Amino acid sequence: MEKRHNSTMYLLILFFASIIIISTSLPVLAHKVIIFAWVEGDTVFTESKFSGGREATGAQVLVFDRAGKQLLEGKTNNQGEFSFKIPKLTDLRIVLNAGMGHKAEWRIPESEIREAGGILEKKRAGGSSQPIDVGLSKEEIKKLIEESLDRKLRPIVRMMTESQSKGPSITEILGGIGYILGLMGVAIYFKNRGKKR
Amino acid sequence: MHISEGVLSAPVLVTGAAFAAAGISIGLKKMGYEKIPQVAVLSSAFFVASLIHVPIGPSSVHLILNGINGLLLGWLCFPSILVALALQAILFQFGGVTVLGINTVNMALPGVISYYLFSRLVNREKKLISLTAAFACGFLSVFFSGILVALSLLFTEQSFMSVAKLIVVAHLPIMIIEGIITLFCVAFLHRVKPELLGGIYGKAT
Repeated sequence: MEKRHNSTMYLLILFFASIIIISTSLPVLAHKVIIFAWVEGDTVFTESKFSGGREATGAQVLVFDRAGKQLLEGKTNNQGEFSFKIPKLTDLRIVLNAGMGHKAEWRIPESEIREAGGILEKKRAGGSSQPIDVGLSKEEIKKLIEESLDRKLRPIVRMMTESQSKGPSITEILGGIGYILGLMGVAIYFKNRGKKR
Repeated sequence: MHISEGVLSAPVLVTGAAFAAAGISIGLKKMGYEKIPQVAVLSSAFFVASLIHVPIGPSSVHLILNGINGLLLGWLCFPSILVALALQAILFQFGGVTVLGINTVNMALPGVISYYLFSRLVNREKKLISLTAAFACGFLSVFFSGILVALSLLFTEQSFMSVAKLIVVAHLPIMIIEGIITLFCVAFLHRVKPELLGGIYGKAT
């Protein structure tokens, strides 16, 4: 029994030493792929990343409509970006296929496209705009505001993409190890109970 | 090498889950009382290893450590890897819950194969044989995993050879690193605790 106890101790020491080395010397990185998409005017922009910050380059992007029909497909560029003109006013489902079983998707609801002033806006333009004091039509002012908002919000959108692609935190890692040790305790408990009977 | 949710079709998932269940039940049956802490420690190692990325090669790859898991645990690496993968799926969103079965098989089966191939060789007195076997164990476990992943993607990605080639090439650096890690583990255990290398089922109750 003494010996066995020792062997476990050795493994534990080895293990915790390696955890300390890992958590101090390496940035914590994760392994999954994500795609993030947003609408600007009549164009949808997407960014694809392996969380850990590495861009998913040359990966296949598929765009589906609400009914699941494929509208278009393309490949991400060297920055992992891909953009396309909105082909149709519908809910868009954007699927990233980074190969080797890595897949992610992002949905853009119809309302978001409508709000971003995509295709619909153009159809409506030219009709019932009422001129106001400044000499610009209501539609034009709306468009200007939307454009500048898009521009101003771009860094924030980018920041959100960054935060989405952040790897797991140290709490999650230690939590996971805690779970494993807890399971070990439960397993030992049950095995032990069986023994006593 | 985790397969994401929604990539595989239902039959593949079910087959994977069935194989995983079989492996886990064998593992649990063979798990002796004294082996539980060892399983837990190696499970934790596997759990953490996926966070260590190796920025070489065309894709995003990380350590796997299924070689050393298999070598030290044999069939017990099935429960060990299942627990680690489940926690990775829940906490890190790697893989997923529905693909848990197939991912477990992809990682644990090569470990079991390595156990049968190498555990005797690793136990040899001669340093050269033992350490070469340890390196091969780490190297080939990742290689087999790559082949299994390509096999499971067979029904979605059509060309098996191209996917297999892609995965194996992407994981070449990992294979070498895992080989070296396994080698050092075995060298270390030879010195401090040779009994650990002598097979896991020895005193199973």
